[in-house]
Formats: sequence, structure tokens, C-alpha cells
Amino acid sequence: MYDNEYFVVDMASCSTTGEIINSLSLALETMNRSGKKIVLKLNDIYLNQSQLLSLQSLITSWGCTLDTVETINRDTRAIAENMNIFVQHPLEFSQDSSQHSMSSDFKPFNMATKPSDIASGINSLHFEANLEAIQKELDEKPAIITRPKIEPEITPTPPIFEEEPPLEFKNVEKNSIGVYKKAYDENEILCDNWEEVDFYETPVDDPVISDTKKTTYINHTLRSGQILESDGNVVVIGDCHPGSEIRAKGDITVWGVLSGVAHAGFSSNINARVRALKLNAVQLRIGSCYSRRPDGTNIPYIIKSSIFTPEEARVVDGEIMLFKINQN
Amino acid sequence: MAGSVIVITSGKGGVGKTTTSANIGTALAHMGKKVVLIDTDIGLRNLDLLLGLENRIVYTIVDVVEQRCKLKQALVKDKKNPNLCLLAAAQTRDKSAVDEDQLKDICEQLKEEFDYVLVDCPAGIEQGFQNAVAGANEAIVVTTPEMSAIRDADRIIGLLESKEGLDKYRLLINRVRPKLIKSNDMMSVDDVVEILSCELVGVIPEDTNIITSTNKGDPVVNDENSLAGKAYLNVAKRIMGEEVPLLDIDEPQTLIEKIKKFIADKMKGLKK
Repeated sequence: MYDNEYFVVDMASCSTTGEIINSLSLALETMNRSGKKIVLKLNDIYLNQSQLLSLQSLITSWGCTLDTVETINRDTRAIAENMNIFVQHPLEFSQDSSQHSMSSDFKPFNMATKPSDIASGINSLHFEANLEAIQKELDEKPAIITRPKIEPEITPTPPIFEEEPPLEFKNVEKNSIGVYKKAYDENEILCDNWEEVDFYETPVDDPVISDTKKTTYINHTLRSGQILESDGNVVVIGDCHPGSEIRAKGDITVWGVLSGVAHAGFSSNINARVRALKLNAVQLRIGSCYSRRPDGTNIPYIIKSSIFTPEEARVVDGEIMLFKINQN
Repeated sequence: MAGSVIVITSGKGGVGKTTTSANIGTALAHMGKKVVLIDTDIGLRNLDLLLGLENRIVYTIVDVVEQRCKLKQALVKDKKNPNLCLLAAAQTRDKSAVDEDQLKDICEQLKEEFDYVLVDCPAGIEQGFQNAVAGANEAIVVTTPEMSAIRDADRIIGLLESKEGLDKYRLLINRVRPKLIKSNDMMSVDDVVEILSCELVGVIPEDTNIITSTNKGDPVVNDENSLAGKAYLNVAKRIMGEEVPLLDIDEPQTLIEKIKKFIADKMKGLKK
């Protein structure tokens, strides 16, 4: 049985990856506590390696770790095992949990699956963590945790830089914006030889925004000319087309291809990060560091590939570097 | 001596204003002139893409106007040619973000430092056009040999004539297809000049290299083999005041025609 360190997220009723990421994000947001080990209940859902990796990276971005995956799908099991994630069969668990549930008289309920349900604020979770506390809450309140509807803050003509003084360049020459580099070999085959980069171990002086309520979720594609501004973190479920711009005080996570301009840690936090399934950004800006895409590396027509390399950009020695997101 | 401000306009969209701006700008810079290109198509910018400078833009013309940066900071230098600079448009705003006086002011400032200030005008005759024309003392009207484009060009010429401070306007005919002109399916260059009764600055043939160069972000004048590139180089020379004869854009089609043309060229050479 899972103890207080664990947090169980039930995904069994989700069918698309969009729903999964939505449910997971909501669950993580509601939890509002970092350092937890996450248990994903996937039941029969098939996830390929890149999808699982992305889920893992999302969880990591909330300061938690993906500890256990519960699945009856053989392929998912194999992939998870390959990634050194602990895999458990739900049957073994359910026997355990049924006893537990009966003893505490707790009935698990399913995750909301339809995006409309989520949007209207109906959000139900399967908590195994603080059973007693939740039991109390259940007695007092109906079993619905309501949440204010998130309004996407897309403004075509936003007041920008109003309070901030204009960013002065260290170098006067504009052409001196450096190119962002990849910290890994692109031609390397994805499944073999994961690079061991323990970048989460480095102490952080200026932590990224941990108040999870300050996270903006956008559930659609950002198109050219659209600006997304946020005082907290930003999670975009969709692509960010060239000409779009994201400016956040915290982290930026894009569940898709990031091709626009992304400014994380606006305007001084160089510990912020930018993550995406594919980082093809015209410009990456983290805090006061600016970098541009190397010339001739644009991918104008996205080659539909099942192998996405989830990437993360962060500042190393004053330069923005791209890292493959690996298990840690 | 202050440089000249040339606006490149057309009225109709899709006739090749931006391509023309990028190529003339690059050609002038090749010939040692200091050139700055201003994109005034705020909200639908493309000039940066054609020059392959998309990833270098930090500040735009709107930032300059709203005084978030200095004018010099917003100028993006070309990758290959240090004589060429770009002042990019903002993608996240619209035409109303800038007004005529502000653009006029920017043109005045840039004129002092550069030999040529080329202003890429948006399609239409609204605010965007008024802005682009405000600071110009010369204009190039781009048209194609189609009735609709010529009508719009005529309207534009009318507006330019009533503009104070603009003392010269010339016509550039784009996307000419000699084969269609021969078979009488397209208006000839002379027809167009006659209809618009306007001085000609150049004739650019239809060229498939334009498409590849746009996608690559490398102006076609950098390609020595391209006919359109040569034509644009000639246009640049004419802008600088040289007298250059119109490029022979008649491409021989059949083998016999090719031989005829070859012999004719030889004969010309002998006569000289």
C-alpha cells in the first residue's frame, strides 16, 4: 500500500493523451505540494516512450517524481520498465486497496474526463494520501473540488514592458545574440545511452514559481501574433507557431512543437526553464539571457514522427543550452 | 549628403513588394551602399523571413516608436552583408501602433546614416500605406502585367502624385512571362507603361528561383544563375543613377530558336 509520500493519480478513464495531460496537470495543481512520489494508474492505456517521458517531465516540473506506473498494458509496462520506473499490476494493488478502502470506508471516484467538465470546474481526484483528512472534508462538503475557471490571457495588444525598464543589452551590437546549443548529440538513437545530467541537483537561489495556482493552462494552439503573458508558469497543450510569443515569470512547458519566441523567467530569473516536445524556437530567452536558433536549422514542415525528443532549455554559465529530458 | 528614402508599394497584394524590397536592398548593399530596410507591414511581417533574419529580431519598429529601445538597437544586421540592416515590424500588433509622423521621424534619422532607406509598404491604401509613404521622397510602384494589378497601381500613382515631398515615382513590372506575351496572352511591358504613363525602373521575369529563395531566406540576387536576380541587380544600378539597358528576358524555347539567338548575339558582337 502507498503511504503519505505517494500521490495516486487515476488515469483509467482517459482516452486521449490530451485528456491524460489535462487530468495530470489538474491533479498536480490541486495537490500543491512538491517532493511527492507520483503513482500513475494507467489501466489499459498504451503510451509510447516519448509520451511517457513527457508525462515524466511534466511531473518533474512540479517538483515531484514519477515513481510507479500501474498498468495492465504489456507495451506500456515494458517501456516503463525500460525507463527504470517501478511497474505494478493493478490487480495486485486492487486487492490491497479494496481492503484498505473498506476499512477506511473510502470510495474512490473517477477523474473527470471531458474537457468541458474540467473547464466548468468539476474536478474529482482519487486520493490515497491523506485519507483521514479527505474523509473529514467529504463529510463536510460534497465531493467536488471546485476551481475558478482559467481564462487564457491572450491579448492581441497587450501592455508590455510597462513597469519594467527597457532591457539593455550587455553588448551594443544587436547581431551578437548567441546561438543556443544542444548539450547532446542529435544523431544519437533515442532509446540507447541516455545522458546522465543531474541538473536538478544544483541548488537554486532564485526558485521558479512554486505557487501552483499561478499556472496558466492553454488548451489550444498559439498562432502567429498571439502573446501569452503570465505572472506564473505556463503550460500550453498544443503547438506554438512561429510569430507567437510566450512571456512568463516562471517556467514554460509546451506539450507540442515550440516554434515561436519563448521568454521564461521574465525578466530576471535565470533559473527558469523552457520545455517542449520539440524545441524549434526562433528565440529562447531565459531571464536576461537571449539566444537565437542557429541559421538553417528551421523545420518548416514538421516531419510527423513518433520519436519526439522532449527537450529542456536552461542557462548554463550564462548561455542557454538544450538538454534532452531524461529520467532522474 | 543625406540618403534617399524609397517606398516600395503596389496597392494590390501578392505582386512582390516584399521580394522586391529584399532584393533591391541586398543588391544595393552588394554595390557598397549602406542600406536599411524598413518593414511597415505591422502584424503581417514577412521581410525578415525573406532575408533569413527572423531569429535575430529582438526589438521592432513599435518598440522604437514607443521608446522602449533606441533606433540603433532595433536595427538587425544582415548575415552576409554588413552594409544591410533591417528594421523589423512587430508581429503582435497592428498598423495603428505607428503613425505617419513617427515613421517620418524614423526615416529622417536613418537618412543621415544610410545611403538608401527602403520602406516596404503593406497592401492597401489605409493607415499602413499612409505611414509607409509619409517619409519617402521617392517611390517604386510594383505591378504585374494583369489588369487588376494595373488598376491598383494607377490608383496608387494618383495618391503618390498628390503627396507632398515625394518627387519621383517609377514603375517596376514584376512576374513577366515572355512566352505568354509572345502568344498575346499577356500584356507586354510597353502596353503597361503606356497605360500607366510612368517611367520604368525595371522588368523582372517570372522565376521559380524566387520560391526557393523565399523559403530559404536568401534573396535571389545572391544567386548568379537566376534571371530574376540579374534583373534586380539592374534595377539597383538604375536606382543608383546608372543607365542600364533592359535585360533580355526572352528565353529561347526550342533548339532552333536557341541557335538563332546564339548567332544573333554573335553578330551583334562582331558589329561592335
